[in-house]
Amino acid sequence: MKKFLLLMLCLMMAAAVLPAAAAVQEITYALANEPDGIDPGITNNSFASPILNNVFEGLVTYSTEDGSLIPGEAEDWTISDDGTVYTFTLREGLKWSDGSDHTAKDYVYAMQRILDPNTGARYVDFLLGYVAGAAEYYEDNSIGFDTVGVKALDDRTLEMTLIAPAPYWLDILTMWTFSPVQEATVAANGDRWTASADAYVTNGPFKMSEINLGESFVLVKNPYYYDAEEVNLEKVTFRFIPDLGTSLMAYENGNIDGMSNIPSADMPRLKAEDAGVVMTPSYGTVWYDFNCAKAPFDNVLVRKAFSMAVDRTAIIEDVVQTEADPAFSFMAPGYVIDGEDLMDTASDNDISDEADIEGAQAALAEAGYPNGEGFPEITLSYYSNETVGKVVEALARQLQDALNISIKISNADWAVYYDEHVAGNYDIGAMGWSGDYVHPMTFLQIFTTGDANNNVFYSNAEYDALVKQAANMTDAEEAFEVMREAEAIAAAEYPVLPLYYKANTMLMHDNIDGYFVTPSNALLLKTAYVED
Amino acid sequence: MRQHTKKRKGEERFMAKFLLKRMAMMLLTLFMITLLTFILMHAVPGGPFTGEKQVSKAVMDALNEKYKLNDPLWKQFFDYVGGLLRFDLGPSFKYQGKTVNDFIENGLPYSAKLGSITLVFVLIASIPMGIVSALKNGKWQDMLLMALATVGVTIPSFVVATALIYVFSFKLGWTPVYGVDTWQGYILPVIAMGGYSVSFLARLMRSSLLDVMGQDYIRTARAKGISETRVIVKHALRNALIPVVTVLGPTVANLLTGSFVIEKIFAIPGMGGYFVNSVTQRDYTTIMGMTVFYAAFLIAMVFIVDLFYCLIDPRIKYD
Repeated sequence: MKKFLLLMLCLMMAAAVLPAAAAVQEITYALANEPDGIDPGITNNSFASPILNNVFEGLVTYSTEDGSLIPGEAEDWTISDDGTVYTFTLREGLKWSDGSDHTAKDYVYAMQRILDPNTGARYVDFLLGYVAGAAEYYEDNSIGFDTVGVKALDDRTLEMTLIAPAPYWLDILTMWTFSPVQEATVAANGDRWTASADAYVTNGPFKMSEINLGESFVLVKNPYYYDAEEVNLEKVTFRFIPDLGTSLMAYENGNIDGMSNIPSADMPRLKAEDAGVVMTPSYGTVWYDFNCAKAPFDNVLVRKAFSMAVDRTAIIEDVVQTEADPAFSFMAPGYVIDGEDLMDTASDNDISDEADIEGAQAALAEAGYPNGEGFPEITLSYYSNETVGKVVEALARQLQDALNISIKISNADWAVYYDEHVAGNYDIGAMGWSGDYVHPMTFLQIFTTGDANNNVFYSNAEYDALVKQAANMTDAEEAFEVMREAEAIAAAEYPVLPLYYKANTMLMHDNIDGYFVTPSNALLLKTAYVED
Repeated sequence: MRQHTKKRKGEERFMAKFLLKRMAMMLLTLFMITLLTFILMHAVPGGPFTGEKQVSKAVMDALNEKYKLNDPLWKQFFDYVGGLLRFDLGPSFKYQGKTVNDFIENGLPYSAKLGSITLVFVLIASIPMGIVSALKNGKWQDMLLMALATVGVTIPSFVVATALIYVFSFKLGWTPVYGVDTWQGYILPVIAMGGYSVSFLARLMRSSLLDVMGQDYIRTARAKGISETRVIVKHALRNALIPVVTVLGPTVANLLTGSFVIEKIFAIPGMGGYFVNSVTQRDYTTIMGMTVFYAAFLIAMVFIVDLFYCLIDPRIKYD
């Protein structure tokens, strides 16, 4: 005890003598889930986002000031008049995190690697659907990569040729899938190049310093990053704390600086205490899929009745206990051209914040089920998740009371649920969508006939034609109007029961600033810093 | 003299035969567990590549090809067993670039260290508790200890763990909230994880000792005028320990291979998490690897316990 007191005394004296030091530029951020991988070419797992978006950078990226699309490793680019050939000029003197030179050839290598089926790239569809020759090469690698529209004209010039014009191609290029990968380390380490910090060569603002399986990823500033002067943080520790109760206590105790998920029950208290709740707009919608291929939901009036009978305000405020805007369409707001959001003029599709029970009953009667008579018992299914479970209970109660029908609830873990869902073995099921990139096409695409993610089996030839038309238009403003039209057609036919627009929520202490959360929920730490 | 050697030789042969027989049984058990797990795992709907979003058919085909899921099931099984014989548990289907061996090599040290400390804590706490309760049968010491033990058995570990963190880490700040980076980090997980075993073993020890104390040979020993301490230590305890040793085998296996709940709550990167998560993720190789590893460990522990019996109780013979 005496020794302890002595030590304390020494420390206090030292603290009194030393001048107040500048804040240490290190942060610890808790993540609830471990990503399934950190290979930018392979994974499509959202849990990888905090790591990949800070250690890799592609041709274009998002500004950490306002989230706008800005040049990344490409300092400049030109687009051919027909909108299909993109020529990027890379910055001078780009280097990998191991100090070696990094050229346009690395981009070619990364794309070639993704198009090798043995790589197992989950997001390969973004190449197959857009890049000239990519699908043919993926089908049969023996035809040679020269046939694919990705070429390094010289060390600093990269040319990408598309199948057809896609004005949102630059938005797609912000995805980590399009980050370059160093051939030397992949050749030397194979699949294991992501397993150790030394082999994990990157090109972003940060580089990997430690990989502790199941425990943490430790990032440090990458001195070879072209914009290293702007990077303030010396060290970022992403610590996996799977239990939100534990991470919340660690956060409130000041052991960690921020955390990615907030337990919904604590949300009101944390906001009241001003404890650092950060809410940013998200490009995503929470909705319930209607199985449009199966009775009774093959009838648009039934879908309308269900969509109108839900009290969204009650679900948002009392059940989810969050702050979110009720959704009247599958498409989330967030895509803005010349200060105008695509959703500004969108119809409410007769849906209101609170339930319109009379309207819903009328729609159901018109569908041939007056007062719910003759309506078959339907199943409302969801994947095992606490919040979703609560929402489902509330939703089922609201629908039963409003429409005088009977609803069965069923749940299963995600792997089973999703497989059954995709196979079409459901009536209504919990689902939603978060944009892969900030462009309406990420939403519009999934309701086109035959799309891999069209799990509602919605099909409308007019809609398909408009989406296809918009996808290939070079003029962004013209495309804007066509996409607006497409949205209006599909939303008015209720392929899904829209519930609310997602918001990204996280906790971060006030002394951390300069970071940015994109609508696709990427936490960008490039310019983040710890205040003195 | 000659007769004595003969008897020893006979015993050795008997022992060797017993060991061989047990080894064969253990391998057969392990094989059956491997086979059953494989069959059950493939019978459950859902596959390892079900992600947050649907990938196209071309990608799914490429993935199934890459991980050899297109092979007939019997071939997949024998390929797997072939790998097992080389101690190669295969690549994880879920975590790219990771093998199941990685999970065990990284996780086992954390789980085993926490488990070993917990085991020591369990033994030091439970056996004296049981002895005191038995000797003070019906008195207030007994009542108090058994009340505690009942609480320990009935309150689930996640409640204990959360309550402990709340009080000692969050309110008092004596121990870290998560992780085992310092020795203080072990205190709460050890208590939360060992609570059940302490209570269970203490009750077992108590009833076993009470049972033994009523036996004829204890009465005989007392009648001979041996001191009470000697009666308890020399004659009663040794016999009373047998049921405790029996359950100790599985307990050791459980503690050393990690607890899903405790590791989750304290954010300890042990093996426990992979055990449970691999099932929900349909990570086939990880499910297999973790099950086989745990089964092998458990079987080995039960075997060791069997060997211990004869040391404690000469009445037990191998057959």
